[in-house]
Amino acid sequence: MRAEAVTVTVNGRAEEADPGETVESLLDRLGLAARYALVERNGEPVERGRYGEVALEDGDSLVVARPVAGG
Amino acid sequence: MGLRGGLEAATEEPDLGHASEGRDGMNDSLAIAGRELRSRLITGTGKYPSPEVMRDAVIASGCELVTVAVGRIDLDTVEEAITDYLPDDVVLLPNTAGSATPEDAVRIARLARAGGLPDWIKLEVIPDPRWLLPDPIGTLQAAEQLVDEGFTVLPYVFPDPVLQKKLEAVGCAAVMPLASPIGSGSGLKLRHAIEIMIEQAEVPVVVDAGLGAPSQAAEAMELGADAVLVNTAIARADDPAAMARAFRLAVDAGRAARHAGLIEEHETAEASSPTGGLAARS
Repeated sequence: MRAEAVTVTVNGRAEEADPGETVESLLDRLGLAARYALVERNGEPVERGRYGEVALEDGDSLVVARPVAGG
Repeated sequence: MGLRGGLEAATEEPDLGHASEGRDGMNDSLAIAGRELRSRLITGTGKYPSPEVMRDAVIASGCELVTVAVGRIDLDTVEEAITDYLPDDVVLLPNTAGSATPEDAVRIARLARAGGLPDWIKLEVIPDPRWLLPDPIGTLQAAEQLVDEGFTVLPYVFPDPVLQKKLEAVGCAAVMPLASPIGSGSGLKLRHAIEIMIEQAEVPVVVDAGLGAPSQAAEAMELGADAVLVNTAIARADDPAAMARAFRLAVDAGRAARHAGLIEEHETAEASSPTGGLAARS
């Protein structure tokens, strides 16, 4: 039996995630995986090397950012 | 962690710039936090009509350091990343644009580093949307915090020589005074204060913001600035790549002139030709 999905917000938008789904998996699924995808989880930056380890929990709030044009 | 993005590759390129040689023909590279940079022109990536035009201008500028901002990805319209357009041998210098407080700036810097961007940060704390002038107190607070956390901090500041000393004291790697308000193209309106900063500098002075023409960049370099950062004047030119090249030449010319030793200004004329020519009365 499939465990119940968890709900997280990504840049303010609600997204369903599988229990135990990692940051890396979520980025892949949303098409956000990139060389410089920057992730903040519940106000704390996530180290790139841990994207594949950090499992999402219900109610997590993520900010996904990246380099954009600027001076 | 240090700089990423191919600094090593960049330093292995053939030396294209005769003017990058200094007074004695020695290497005149710019050292910031122990890193050698051959180009004294830093460019921004903002305000270009397209990322392709941006890429061509960055290449034409010959710069090694390129600033980027950090922004949320719009989930509805995930566009190509600007970094996909940058040459592999440029080094990204993330800025903290959009920060009105030191807390905002520290947050962006931490996010950038955690996600794999360099631990160099162009620190901007700008509470004022009209003049886009940086908050000196907030900048100093954020600089101290970020230096403590191991960042190489390059703060964007109003040209205040007292603030400069405080930023040096907390360990900033360079100080980046504005020549005039961001994007104004007004040139060295704050020239005298920048001269004082250059005279007393213990870390590189990078003149940032407000330079509208290559002549103004050359002027900053003649004054003794270690480098300049240019964005709008290149990005908004009719031909950004050609303007980028013009700024490159101007920065080299200004640097070379600084080394060559400029003459003192005089109020009166001083003849360049002999005054006792054929028409001289005997």
